[in-house]
Amino acid sequence: MSEEQEEKPPVFSRWSTWYWLLMIVLAVQILIYLFITNSF
Amino acid sequence: MNTIDWVILFTTLILIVAYGTWKSRGSKNIDGYLLGNKSLPWWNVCLSIMATQASAITFLSTPGQAYEDGMRFLQFYFGLPLAMVILSITAVPLYHRLKVYTAYEYLESRFDLKTRSLAAFLFLMLRGLSVGITIYAPSLILSTMLDWNINITTIFIGTLVMIYTVSGGTKAVSMTQKYQLTIIMGGMFIAGWIAFSKLPDNITFTEAFQVAGEMGKLNLINLSFDLSDRYNIWSGLIGGLFLFLSYFGADQSQVGRYLGGSSIAQSRLGLIFNGLLKVPMQFVILYIGILVFVFYQFNQAPVFHNQSLKDKAMQTEYAGDIATLESEYDEVFIEKRKEAVNMVKAMRQDNSALVEQTRVSIEKIQDVEKGIRAEVKEKISAAIPGANTLDKDYVFITFVMTYLPHGLIGLLLAVVFSAAMASTASELNALASTTAVDIYKRSIKPSENDYHYVKASKWFTAGWAVFGMMFASIANQAENLIQFVNIIGSLFYGTILGIFLTAFYLKYIKSNAVFIAAIIAQAVILYCYFFTEMAFLLYNIIGCLVVVMVAYIIQYIENQGIKKRLSQK
Repeated sequence: MSEEQEEKPPVFSRWSTWYWLLMIVLAVQILIYLFITNSF
Repeated sequence: MNTIDWVILFTTLILIVAYGTWKSRGSKNIDGYLLGNKSLPWWNVCLSIMATQASAITFLSTPGQAYEDGMRFLQFYFGLPLAMVILSITAVPLYHRLKVYTAYEYLESRFDLKTRSLAAFLFLMLRGLSVGITIYAPSLILSTMLDWNINITTIFIGTLVMIYTVSGGTKAVSMTQKYQLTIIMGGMFIAGWIAFSKLPDNITFTEAFQVAGEMGKLNLINLSFDLSDRYNIWSGLIGGLFLFLSYFGADQSQVGRYLGGSSIAQSRLGLIFNGLLKVPMQFVILYIGILVFVFYQFNQAPVFHNQSLKDKAMQTEYAGDIATLESEYDEVFIEKRKEAVNMVKAMRQDNSALVEQTRVSIEKIQDVEKGIRAEVKEKISAAIPGANTLDKDYVFITFVMTYLPHGLIGLLLAVVFSAAMASTASELNALASTTAVDIYKRSIKPSENDYHYVKASKWFTAGWAVFGMMFASIANQAENLIQFVNIIGSLFYGTILGIFLTAFYLKYIKSNAVFIAAIIAQAVILYCYFFTEMAFLLYNIIGCLVVVMVAYIIQYIENQGIKKRLSQK
């Protein structure tokens, strides 16, 4: 198996989509935690 | 503890050891023993990474931390997803393509042998000492709770880990970790559920949340920028990023986990999912502590959570004083419970003025409780000189032992033992890999066959396990050694991270420059340690920055010299 094939990410066509997903999930979590902190 | 608990505890532990040993049998070559033949799918890489990071003390301490200090500790982990992205882009493809066994091996291809050996040596120093503490810390708490001799508990944990780690190497470590983490998370969810289900008056999940919020325990985010505050969003994002970059990028106990992935993609996905799951997992563990806190608003909490130590103090002349304080504490609790019930009623009526009134009352009662607890701790200190009266780490395990039904107590103890075994196994495996590959194979016996290196790795694993157990036994006699080990870690982590960051990102810098810079950085840190009052956690950042900056300056001077010589010719 070539390295190019190995490098191909599952689900998305680019790895950068996975990284953005991780960043967005972190940002959303921080917003939820901020909401909890200020609301309760 | 009754027979069912013992049966569940020992069956779980024996099954894990037997499974790890059986599943990884036949690892006869060095690839199989140190890298598990690079066969792990992403989810197993992810579980293995998470099980390595979450030691027993995580599950014993974290709920207690939330119980006392609220949930602000969560911010400490915000830098982790950022570190996962950076390492997925840089370290993972690099390590895979170079087909290295250890992170330090990469340093030889990037720099030279002396830089590789220096980084490997620094790692062995800090991880070798910390493996003793990984065994010692849970042993101390478990021996207290189970009334075992601490040396027996230490040897018990150390020997169980040694059996399957020596026998099966990396594959055994990763294979067992997926079940260990399943048991750990399953057990923690059950404990949280029981804390919730034992709340009176059919208190809903939202009401439990509201009570915790009113009592200031849901302090998840602190936006203020304060360098002296260990837990705010900025220290979590910036400090956490540095810490997790060094832990996941330059510490073989984690690098070894994702090097076992079957491809670059599988290792990357393992790290990405660790980034996705780690913060929510910590939230759940902290929230279990919050549920225990809410539970103790309606049920009598022990005046001192380390029951065994209190029992010893009750054998002394201070027994009467402690008993009097305990009955005062019980009386105060009756008042607190009344106010907590009123608070829930006020919440149901949407009466915010009454909620505020009850909150103020509960806070006043809590101050009285704190005063009584402080007095009890003083009495225990006087009764047993030198006793550690910090009981935060005992909050969760005492709750488990007191309120969980039999069977589940055994399961929760299996959780703690599993967590201790999972993190210790990774550390032993990493120490053995580094000793075998970076020192023994590279510099002592370079031309032996695979069988010889597998055998040597097994001996190194056993040797480090014995060293860990011995160090844990000494730690038992000198409490300050834990602090000492934390300092040792900070003394070397910064330099190691500096070397790796230079290797990854500053292609301009060559071997001699980074090696000299690393020596200078280490000298600077040692100077800070011996001659300044600086907080030792700062050594990590200082060490890293000195390596990078000094290496850059040395390389610049060296390049100028080369240019001058060339122009003279």
